[in-house]
Amino acid sequence: MTAQIEIENIDKHYGAYHALKNVDVRIPQGQFVALVGPSGCGKSTLLRTIAGLETITSGKIRIAGKDVSAAPPRARDLAMVFQSYALYPHKTVAGNMMYALRLKGMTRKQARARAEEIAQITGLDGLMDRYPRELSGGQRQRVAMGRAIVREPQAFLFDEPLSNLDAALRVHMRAEIRKLHDRIGATSVYVTHDQIEAMTMADHVVVMRAGVIEQQGAPLDLYDHPVNRFVAGFIGSPAMNFIPGQIAADGRHVVLDLPGAPRLTFDGRRPADEPVTVGLRPEHLVPGAGDNMLTLPVAVVERTGSSSYVLSDTTPPVMIAASDRLQGVERGDIQVTIKPSLVHLFSQTDDLALSAR
Amino acid sequence: MPATSSSFRDGRGFDRMLVWITLTFLIVFSAFPLAYNILMSFQSVDLFTLASFDRPFVGLDNYKEVLTNSATDIIVKNTIVFVLLSVAAQLVIGFGLALFFQQRFPGATWLRGLFLAGWILPGLVVGAVWSWILAGDFGVLNWVLQTLGLTDDKIFWLSDPTNSLYSVIIANVWIGVPFNMILLSVGLSAIPDDVYEAAELDGAGRVWRFLTITLPLMRAQLGAVISLGIIFTLQQFDLFAALTQGGPSNGSNVMQYWSWELSFQDYRIGQGSAVSVLMIIVVIGVAAIYVRSTRHEHAA
Repeated sequence: MTAQIEIENIDKHYGAYHALKNVDVRIPQGQFVALVGPSGCGKSTLLRTIAGLETITSGKIRIAGKDVSAAPPRARDLAMVFQSYALYPHKTVAGNMMYALRLKGMTRKQARARAEEIAQITGLDGLMDRYPRELSGGQRQRVAMGRAIVREPQAFLFDEPLSNLDAALRVHMRAEIRKLHDRIGATSVYVTHDQIEAMTMADHVVVMRAGVIEQQGAPLDLYDHPVNRFVAGFIGSPAMNFIPGQIAADGRHVVLDLPGAPRLTFDGRRPADEPVTVGLRPEHLVPGAGDNMLTLPVAVVERTGSSSYVLSDTTPPVMIAASDRLQGVERGDIQVTIKPSLVHLFSQTDDLALSAR
Repeated sequence: MPATSSSFRDGRGFDRMLVWITLTFLIVFSAFPLAYNILMSFQSVDLFTLASFDRPFVGLDNYKEVLTNSATDIIVKNTIVFVLLSVAAQLVIGFGLALFFQQRFPGATWLRGLFLAGWILPGLVVGAVWSWILAGDFGVLNWVLQTLGLTDDKIFWLSDPTNSLYSVIIANVWIGVPFNMILLSVGLSAIPDDVYEAAELDGAGRVWRFLTITLPLMRAQLGAVISLGIIFTLQQFDLFAALTQGGPSNGSNVMQYWSWELSFQDYRIGQGSAVSVLMIIVVIGVAAIYVRSTRHEHAA
């Protein structure tokens, strides 16, 4: 697969503020890439530099092999779906979709026919002569999508396109955008602060924090092998438990800083006596007795029907997510076990994952 | 007693009082003078009958006299030129400045605020300042033009009949530009940045974005500015009084000044009223356009 968008070591400064630090991403043709991170992490800035709406201080951006680092947005042949949709308020749905086509020199008739075609795909037929103000939020979202698709651009850029929709519609549009992507097969870059959106939609997830790429890779790779404590805590819901601890003298066990100083086995060997942060995902703590067991006092039990959540009465509190109803667990202690391969260890000095040696 | 005062505050009494205060003001200071003016335009009014209501009706005589007056042609032509040139120049310069101050540069808002200073000055003061600038013998404008070598001789801006109307137009444009700029600036800042960004990504260059995004989205503001500009320009009296007094030989006379001349210099008050009634008809037409353009704004 050829790289459609190549972002080579770019930096972006706003005066003294360093917004993007040595960002490097290769996006193959046809891939769906999510840029995810907390607000202010630079993900939107990165998207806007790809679009050409922001200039870069150093580095290179190539689209389809062509260096566009200094090219204006209109020379890049990219389509963008904005968070606010940014529809042309004085143009009808058809007018919005035809705008770019008319600029490319299509006749009114050709452009209208092409817009009608895309309206079929995006479910906008019947709305072509309405103005944006006459549409619901979900319909406006579709117009923004249709306006992007109709152009057949080199790539699609999405800037948090679902954040203005209500929860149910968001889940629906999530699947719909992914379906459209699979159907059209164009390269997509998708910015979101919602890791669930990133995990469910993308082939490749880029996690950012403070202008730096913390980790990038396939969604489940990030879940299984986070390189540091930030990525471990950001990916996965409910979030990973972090408990201070110390590696035992044998280098194969960790003693948790919890009442009763429980010992957990982990895979491989680590330096003995090292202070660490232990990462345990709530869904990896399985209720029941057995090897590699923790006994925790129960503070709260929440049951949603499909799954149950237990919060322990410890400092820090430990969250347990179980897929059964945990009948009988109310007060007292709960016993949970965890596979050694699912115990994550992070250095307390630099928060990096401590790999086996 | 407490019951009545609370029912006055909480009940309809307070609302009614507010409405009546406004209505009384409008009736006394707007509707009555307007009706009285229309009445006088159908009567023979002179200094002797001014004080009594019992004046002979003359039908459309005042209008006939006004429309057949030898000065009518030049005054109507002057009025049209004055309004069209003033409004067009105010609009173009005001829009240009609004676009300029829309660019983000240090001091943009501060400088834009300074421009309003011209607008809040009384017309007579502006007139006095411009009469110095435009003065033929010692005016600054002539000095500048001669120093730059653009003209050899002094231009008599105010006393030459071919120049006098344009001199008033220049001063009037100067007064009207800040108002145009502020109103259009408000309209410009209401257009979201991302709409321009979307157009940019769609392949529109700077000029095309202006023509297909800015202009159509500014329709309501442009309608308001043009119609208000016409109304303000038709009301512009102070500058004529301060600069040319309509002269020389009606060379810069316009209907609003002529109406005043007929009423308060020649004491042909009926004819003066007739001229102002004719102007009211024009203003009502323009006001209708203005109301329509602002209604469109609410719908958007």
